[in-house]
Amino acid sequence: MEYIIKGGIVFDPLNHIDGEQKDILIKDGFITDKVSPKAKILDVTGKLVMPGGVDLHSHIAGPKLATGRLYRPEDTRRGIKTFPKGSVQGFETGFSIPSCPTTGYRYSKMGYTTVTEAAVPPLEAKHAHEEIDSIPNLDIPTLTLFGNNWFMLKYVKENNLEDLTLFISKWLKLAKGYGIKIVNPCGSEAWGWGKNVNGLDDPEPHWHVTGREVITALTKVNEKLGLPHSVHVHTNDLGHPGNYETTLETFDCVKHIKKNKNVNRNQVIHCTHVQFHAYKGTSWRDVSSGATELIDYINKSKHMTCDIGQITFDETTTMTADAPMEYDLFRLTGLKWANKDIEVETASGLIPSIYSMKAPVSAFQWAVGLEFFLGIKDLWKIGLTTDSPNGGPFIRYPRLLTWLMSNQKLNDMLDNQVHNWATNRTDITSYDREYSWNDVAIVTRANTAKILGLTDRGHLGIGAKADVSIYDIDVNDFDTTLMSNAEIIEKKLLNALYTIKDGEIVVKDGQITNLVKSKHLWCNVVGLEEEEEQLIRKIKPTFNKYYTIKYENYGVTNHYIKPDTRFDINCNKQG
Amino acid sequence: MKIINLKLKESVKVALEFDNVLPELLYDKNIQQINDIIIYQGNKERFLSELFEIKISGDAENPDDCKIVLDGDLHRIKYIGNNMAHGTIIANGDVDLHVAAMMSGGHIIVNGDAESYAGREMTGGLLEIKGNVKEYCGSSYIGEWRGMNGGTIIIGGSCGKQLADCMLSGNIYIKGDCDILAGIHMSGGYIEIEGNVTSWPGGQMKKGVIVIKGNVGEVLQGFDYQESICHPLINGKYHIGQYDLYIGDSTTRGKGQLWIKR
Amino acid sequence: MTESEMIEYDEIVRNCCCSYCGNNCDDITYLLKDKKIVGVRHACRLGASKIINDTDQRLLNPMIRNEEGILEETTWDIALDKVTQLLSASMRPLFYGWGETSVEAIKKGIVLAQQTGAVMDNQSTICHGASIQAFQNVGHPVMTLGEVKNRSDVIIYIGTNPMDDHPRHLTRYTTFPEGFFRQNGREDRLLITLDPKYTNTAKISDKWIQFNMNEDYSLFNAIRTILNGGKLKSDKIAGVDKEELYDLVDIMKNAECGSLFFGLGLTQTLAKQRNVDVLIQLIEDLNKYTKWSMLPMRGFFNVNGFNIAMTTETGYPYGVDFARGYPRYMVGETTTIDLLNRREPDFFMAVAADPVIQFPGYSIKHLTQIPVIQVDTHWGPYTEIADIVLPSTRVGVETEGTGYRMDGIPLFMKKVIDKPENCHSDEWILHQLNERIKKINGDT
Repeated sequence: MEYIIKGGIVFDPLNHIDGEQKDILIKDGFITDKVSPKAKILDVTGKLVMPGGVDLHSHIAGPKLATGRLYRPEDTRRGIKTFPKGSVQGFETGFSIPSCPTTGYRYSKMGYTTVTEAAVPPLEAKHAHEEIDSIPNLDIPTLTLFGNNWFMLKYVKENNLEDLTLFISKWLKLAKGYGIKIVNPCGSEAWGWGKNVNGLDDPEPHWHVTGREVITALTKVNEKLGLPHSVHVHTNDLGHPGNYETTLETFDCVKHIKKNKNVNRNQVIHCTHVQFHAYKGTSWRDVSSGATELIDYINKSKHMTCDIGQITFDETTTMTADAPMEYDLFRLTGLKWANKDIEVETASGLIPSIYSMKAPVSAFQWAVGLEFFLGIKDLWKIGLTTDSPNGGPFIRYPRLLTWLMSNQKLNDMLDNQVHNWATNRTDITSYDREYSWNDVAIVTRANTAKILGLTDRGHLGIGAKADVSIYDIDVNDFDTTLMSNAEIIEKKLLNALYTIKDGEIVVKDGQITNLVKSKHLWCNVVGLEEEEEQLIRKIKPTFNKYYTIKYENYGVTNHYIKPDTRFDINCNKQG
Repeated sequence: MKIINLKLKESVKVALEFDNVLPELLYDKNIQQINDIIIYQGNKERFLSELFEIKISGDAENPDDCKIVLDGDLHRIKYIGNNMAHGTIIANGDVDLHVAAMMSGGHIIVNGDAESYAGREMTGGLLEIKGNVKEYCGSSYIGEWRGMNGGTIIIGGSCGKQLADCMLSGNIYIKGDCDILAGIHMSGGYIEIEGNVTSWPGGQMKKGVIVIKGNVGEVLQGFDYQESICHPLINGKYHIGQYDLYIGDSTTRGKGQLWIKR
Repeated sequence: MTESEMIEYDEIVRNCCCSYCGNNCDDITYLLKDKKIVGVRHACRLGASKIINDTDQRLLNPMIRNEEGILEETTWDIALDKVTQLLSASMRPLFYGWGETSVEAIKKGIVLAQQTGAVMDNQSTICHGASIQAFQNVGHPVMTLGEVKNRSDVIIYIGTNPMDDHPRHLTRYTTFPEGFFRQNGREDRLLITLDPKYTNTAKISDKWIQFNMNEDYSLFNAIRTILNGGKLKSDKIAGVDKEELYDLVDIMKNAECGSLFFGLGLTQTLAKQRNVDVLIQLIEDLNKYTKWSMLPMRGFFNVNGFNIAMTTETGYPYGVDFARGYPRYMVGETTTIDLLNRREPDFFMAVAADPVIQFPGYSIKHLTQIPVIQVDTHWGPYTEIADIVLPSTRVGVETEGTGYRMDGIPLFMKKVIDKPENCHSDEWILHQLNERIKKINGDT
């Protein structure tokens, strides 16, 4: 199929196109410079055209989600929407933890085409991939959890980076993972005994390894292998007042590590949902924002990127592999607590969370998130996330953008709607930045793809994947800074005029018109196969002794990843 | 006042779902429009007139001025008064599941028994059931920790298990007996039971008041006896007789009041 | 007992998954001769006998009950068309079972239920559905079985008897094996059973606490009262001396890592889900002091997989009603036994389950009044009332597919031998029905 997307106002920051009227040509699933006369013309004169959205951190598939849905039927009930017979999409269910098909519909309608599932334990990776199979219309890379893995802890303790490299490279193949995720390193393992670690240098009770050692070792391995994405780190002490110091130390602990030369990204570490890690003080009573210090560090550094994990004032569900933190939350709120400890690898926890504008802590957290959005000067260092569904469900991204695009809107929120902790406990009022459409394109597409190391998307250059989103907004006649336009922006961004994925129209006029199977994106390290097999021979007896399933039944087979996109990483190229 | 009489022509096996038959949806509709109201039966859609004899008298300016009277064999009609906010529904006979579920206003009278989930998640209005009710009367939805939050339920007969699960506020009066775990997980509101209670009233309750005038099988260990009071003043009303007060459930650090008549 | 003779075999297939109970043991070895299974290694007596006796009473051809009431063999086309016709005419269809088939088949079943406005339910409805309700009410603190093996020093079984119904639970996963932090296996652990009966699990336990049937709720409430610093007012609670309860709380608080397993003894007695509800809160309380987790003892090898697949597709775990085009879940209204007792269903299809063994008599009575379809591998009591029988294949033996162990670990269950010639997998059968229904609905 060929298309000419005609007359749109294009924002393609990676190719330095900032609001030019420009035709985009599509052929066989890619952007091209030439199409045949048979090409179908989509006249979108004056409308907003951007690359398909790329989410670099969201929770959409796998055991945590299954637990969330299983134990929150009241959330499922909230999002019920029926569709008449004959429509392409089926019913929708769920608000913060939608069913898998619903997740695909909603992202797709928002113009997103790639969404990263940010935490998959290898033991249950089949489950995540099986759920991805039920999510339509997206490309989905999964990040594999390593930060509390026993084999990893042992190698780090022994300072055996060679075996650790082989282990990671093999385990990504087994889990069909895209990158390395580290969550509360050592803390989730300590949770196996009902404990946590306190900060970056508090050793885990058995191996006596610290978070600092884990993060630096895995970063070195990541750069040695030359994986497209950097290590993706959820730092220690999430949600604890006073944690910003741990966060600063984490930022700093890998700055000396050299980036692999073959990768496209700028960073060696990506720190996720920094909003939750930016609190000063000793308790929730005297808490204040530590964002200024963190922003200052980020503005001065070149080796790191982050995403925000913005709060959106909703009743949502928090879910993370940082299980001890979830138990702390349970002690705080008393709402129903779910926990799942996963042998040898990690733990995870969930709890419903109600962020209210009138609640001091919610308003404070909300403002801290916005501080990062407005304070980090170079937007090529951040990605837009709500850590969906932790800070709020992903369907709130458009609403979040309205707070960033209009000072008028933001000030109205601060003055009239949210609790005064937002202004009293943070520096939010010191910023007057307003996001342009180009800025929006950077934090939702161009840079999120770049941070992930996905060079084939996030832009509309020749040869890029033909993932395009078009919104019914007349760019040149529309003032995004007006508060009165906020609702319109939200509505239009929730319901794309067109979403085009791999050159096929999947959404038109805010309705799903086509369902395609989501692709599983994973990294295949080439060149270490023999050494990996030797390592497996060595560790298999231990594996079979401490896991309760056999090694032979552990990996994700091709049965679960149809269709996939495999990124072959040649690690023997000089890094 | 507009009165809409609906008489079920013959008994049905597969339950009818009546969530589209509310005073606020019918008060301004003419007979033709009411005939064509769609109700659900299993996976099929039916016109109201297919199944009911419909009579209308009078006119209504607003939904509060509208009364729906149901006759015939109603025991397989569920969701009567579901989401109702205004007006009156009178059901002459036994009704099925979810009568008055999520009701926020108005008045429902059932001249007969009701199945489970009567008054589920009610937030206002008055539900009167002359006969007995089954389980989960005045309860929350599964998994929802915020249950009945306002309104009044009066049951003429007895009541099944797990009355008023997760209740937040409102009043429930049971004239007859009550099965186990009345007021489970309750965190507010008022329950008065005139008959006997099988066992374990107020399990895991945090706040709220339960008054029991009959006998109680077993009081849970989580409840601590406080004192015995003659003619206590509870919920703005003097209760004649000698009452023992228990506070609990201590397992949830609850401060609920359990008054049991000697 | 004498050792059985050495089995003659010409092929050996290792690391297969057992398609019997919720343990879903994945270390089974099948011995084959001439492409037939002749021996099983590592499996327990239940798992092994299910395989060894597989050819006994096997359903081999589709059948339709004729006017004389006799099941007559027929072709697949005739049988499938007949099912389609009955299903599409039905107003309140109900699909039940799914515990012994693959997630892949279950997903096809969900599509069929959506297309036909049916109710889709599984064995949870009569087993651990109550536990799921309790999870939904107060929380879900669980673990995988390896956590127990590697860490637990106190293990409690309540209202369940794994020695008889999940024979390898203690030997492979929890109590006996050496774990990373429990190198001496059984010796490093304290095993406690709470049960009204002196079960085989109680016999091998270090401590057995007998309590009165139907008084679970009051017992656990008392235990929580002690844990939270309260005093017991009675000397005996649910028939247990209060000193014994104080001791138990002491043991629980002082465990390094405790694990608790519970079974249908809790979910099927008087307070049902509230027994589990209060037990979950006990576990939540205990985590203030030390590490505790719990897990329901799921019955069939993929009964958990159904709940997971159902939440993936709809958000709800079981008892899902698609009658109005979107899913609804309401225990007592959209659950199998309640629907049957209310006499509502006018079409019933059981896939990989035998309702006549599992259901109460009053519910079965309604099944004899309506069209009843069996999709299964073996002749059973349910076959006797089935109007149409569609013979299927064994997952993990003749058909590959995914199963979820009781703790949610997914396993790919491989194909070992060929299926009987005229049998088809559940997945195939449901796909065929889907295609036929689609045609009737006029979609292409």
